[in-house]
Amino acid sequence: MNWLVHEWRLLVRSRLAAAALLLLLCLSALAVLAGLREVQRQRHTIARVQGLQQQELQAEMQKHATKGDAGSAAYYTFHGTWDPPSPAAFLALGLRDAAPYVLRVRALALQAQLHEGESTNPELVLAGRFDFAFVLVYLAPLFLVVLHYDLVSGERSAGRLGALLALPGTGRRLWLRRSGLRVGLVFAALVTPALAGALASGTPAAGLLTLLLATAPYLLFWSGLALGVAALGGSSAAKATALVGAWVVLTLVAPTLSNAALARLLPVHQGVELMLGQREAVHGAWDKPREATMERFFRGHPEWRGTAPLPAGFHWKWYFAFQQLGDESVQAQVAAYRDGLVARQRWTERLGWLLPAVGVQAALHRHANTDLLAELAYQDRIAQFHDRLRRFYYPYLFSETRFGTDAFAKLPRFEPAPVAADLPLPPLLGLAAMALLASWGGIVSLRRIGLLQARPSAAPS
Amino acid sequence: MKGVLRIAREELRLLWRGRVALYGLALLVLLNAVAAFTSWEHWRHAAAERMRYQARANAEFDAQPDRHPHRMVHYGHFVFRPLDPLAAFDPGINAQTGHTLFLEGHRQNSPNFGEVRQSSLLLRFGELTPAFVLQVLAPLLLIFVGHASVARERESNLLRVLLAQGVAPGRLVAGKAVALLGFAGMLLSPTLLLLAGTAFAIPHRAGAAIGLGAAYGLWFLLWVAGVVGVSTLCRRGRDALLALLAIWSVCVVLVPRLAPELAATTLSLPTRLETDIAVSRELKAIGDSHDPDDPYFAGFRKQVLARYGVTRIEDLPVNYKGLVALEGERLTSELFERHAAAGFDRQAAQLLWVDRGAVLSPVLALRRLSMALAGTDLHHYRRFVEQAEQHRFQLVQALNRLQAEKLSLAQDRSSRDDRISRQHWHGLAEFHHEPPSLVETLGRAASSAGVLLLWLALLGGLLALGTRRLARSS
Repeated sequence: MNWLVHEWRLLVRSRLAAAALLLLLCLSALAVLAGLREVQRQRHTIARVQGLQQQELQAEMQKHATKGDAGSAAYYTFHGTWDPPSPAAFLALGLRDAAPYVLRVRALALQAQLHEGESTNPELVLAGRFDFAFVLVYLAPLFLVVLHYDLVSGERSAGRLGALLALPGTGRRLWLRRSGLRVGLVFAALVTPALAGALASGTPAAGLLTLLLATAPYLLFWSGLALGVAALGGSSAAKATALVGAWVVLTLVAPTLSNAALARLLPVHQGVELMLGQREAVHGAWDKPREATMERFFRGHPEWRGTAPLPAGFHWKWYFAFQQLGDESVQAQVAAYRDGLVARQRWTERLGWLLPAVGVQAALHRHANTDLLAELAYQDRIAQFHDRLRRFYYPYLFSETRFGTDAFAKLPRFEPAPVAADLPLPPLLGLAAMALLASWGGIVSLRRIGLLQARPSAAPS
Repeated sequence: MKGVLRIAREELRLLWRGRVALYGLALLVLLNAVAAFTSWEHWRHAAAERMRYQARANAEFDAQPDRHPHRMVHYGHFVFRPLDPLAAFDPGINAQTGHTLFLEGHRQNSPNFGEVRQSSLLLRFGELTPAFVLQVLAPLLLIFVGHASVARERESNLLRVLLAQGVAPGRLVAGKAVALLGFAGMLLSPTLLLLAGTAFAIPHRAGAAIGLGAAYGLWFLLWVAGVVGVSTLCRRGRDALLALLAIWSVCVVLVPRLAPELAATTLSLPTRLETDIAVSRELKAIGDSHDPDDPYFAGFRKQVLARYGVTRIEDLPVNYKGLVALEGERLTSELFERHAAAGFDRQAAQLLWVDRGAVLSPVLALRRLSMALAGTDLHHYRRFVEQAEQHRFQLVQALNRLQAEKLSLAQDRSSRDDRISRQHWHGLAEFHHEPPSLVETLGRAASSAGVLLLWLALLGGLLALGTRRLARSS
């Protein structure tokens, strides 16, 4: 353990390295705090909205219960749905700033309600969040680069390299433990605040494991790359240039290029199609013979076929029947739209096998339940609830039962999905594979240090 | 001057020989070309699609059969946010906002189907656009190429020789700066050509395109001054590189994320759901048009009867139900407008908060300027939403007026069975979006341009300081 103390002293004596590590610790802590605060704010918002929603429901009940008319109760009563942040959401806030996490629906056609946007400031969303995922993906590699790029050339320019290599028992081990110490410290600076935040917010053990299993290989990848470049010949400036160039390509350029490619290869315009299609179906129904509409409805829902025929004039059951038919008529477009979105997500995950920055984002966001799939899962939950709502109202509508206070009390309540904190295995495996590859490359290239030194023409930096 | 040019020429010759500059230039120009192409492709596709959908929605509205006007109020209309041609250069918030807006009676919907909600997290890495390349990547290349320009001379002890031979420090620094400026010019020239082409092809956006060219020219000038300035101050090229990379990562990567975060938590926005509830509550407080005993609408009825000099609504020359619909829509729209304006004002206040971050990072000012000129900032979006809301109001009121004038109270028993001819809504739905004038945009963008100029003055001062220290050190 002596060497560790020795190397640690060497490292902290360099003001740049000590400052870098401290700065990273501060940034990570700041990001974790910002994330926790945002999650807290979202929880408060959900609680506040639920309270409001409850008051609204009471008001509707007072208004409609005396009349006992199920149709107008179903038409006017909104129901709150919400998507609480998972315990790990503070690590990677993902789409939660752009997509709604509270949405109210009523028993009318669902597709016209499901895609409602949230009132967010688009210029703020544009920048992306400052959360742990950001610090890890973008900033941590830069810190590793700063701590590695002159690992070898610094010794050389100080004239110590020859002496170091001549010492017995050093060689490759020396560089490995120096690099290892740096990675370890960067890992600690990053993960300590995140673990503290995770414990504070009650993240289950699987969450802590994911955090560690995503962070460690990502850092190993970058340190392997940095070590490999550091071991090559050339000046410190050339190495810094090469490493920052690699960072720019791997975290900025390649993902944006892939995004452009994905958007082009997997266009998703069915969203508009389904809105337009559903509107035609719903509003067209007013002009179609009512009996034909009911017949179409009964075909899918035979349990109501035997109920009383439509009276003259308006009847709510006809109204709600064509609302449901409106949703059913765009089922193909809905499926196509969803398939398009899921395909984008799947391809992004596959890309994560090649681009560690994408892989680590995918792993963290999947685990935090803040990615596109999580948004779709929330929509599914709303759809399920909406379905329950319809089924709840139909007996009152079709059997013309009085809809009084007791019926209001029995209205279905939305239940958010239980958070499944599973390990996002595929992206983690991809990350591990890339980390192994980069580390292996780094270790192999260490052999060159001695060769370069032996060669008299090796350029001094 | 002659000395300056000679030094600049030597520096450029050296850059030419060094591989970093050449490869970097080639890479960035290539990337810029790819960005311009994909961005333009995306723009063309999106613009065509929106036009197609808009034409379809207009046609579908016109093709509606004979109906009760209130059914048309609920049928509503779709409008699609038109794309500014310069959005291909800087799409700004286009991916973050929805572009499909459903206009209907009694409700104000949000534009939806924004790209960000339909994308995997890849969009969070940013979009590959010419603006992204120039804002984020170009400064990095300038750093790699220029960090050693003066520091190299000092490091190799040539500086002393040069100064001893009578080269004025000012001239030396100016020469280095001119060389880097020349390099920056090469970097920027494809973009300038692209913008010039746009200005030529679309004359009404020429002013904005020129403005964009000027803004990015200023941005490059800023980095040239900063890079050469830091290079004069540092003892070794390596130190200059590290310092500049640190500055870049703080300015370009860190602060642009941190500032919006602070703004969002300091001034949070109410959710859409809460606004909806607030609107419906205020509405209930005013009155319920369906309730015959409602005090507000009882007063309204009295007023209407007095205006027409009759005692019963049945004797009115117009359909009273239509008048109630008109009044109801007027009331709701007033509330919508007030709440929407409050929301947008709050968003504008958030952006003022972000603007403070420009003290640390001029890229924030550049982004505001760039998006404003490209017609892709919050203000342009707000204008679209507000104009669409106006259009919604006019459309719904026109239909309500049809109900008041074309149907008598006796005829108006059921919105299902009592109809008027479809001729009445022909051509009613077409929406024309009027973007703000260039003068207005420039007026809004002036403060961001001012911040950039201030930064230029500051960095010019840094350069002068470095030059003075150079003179002293000799």
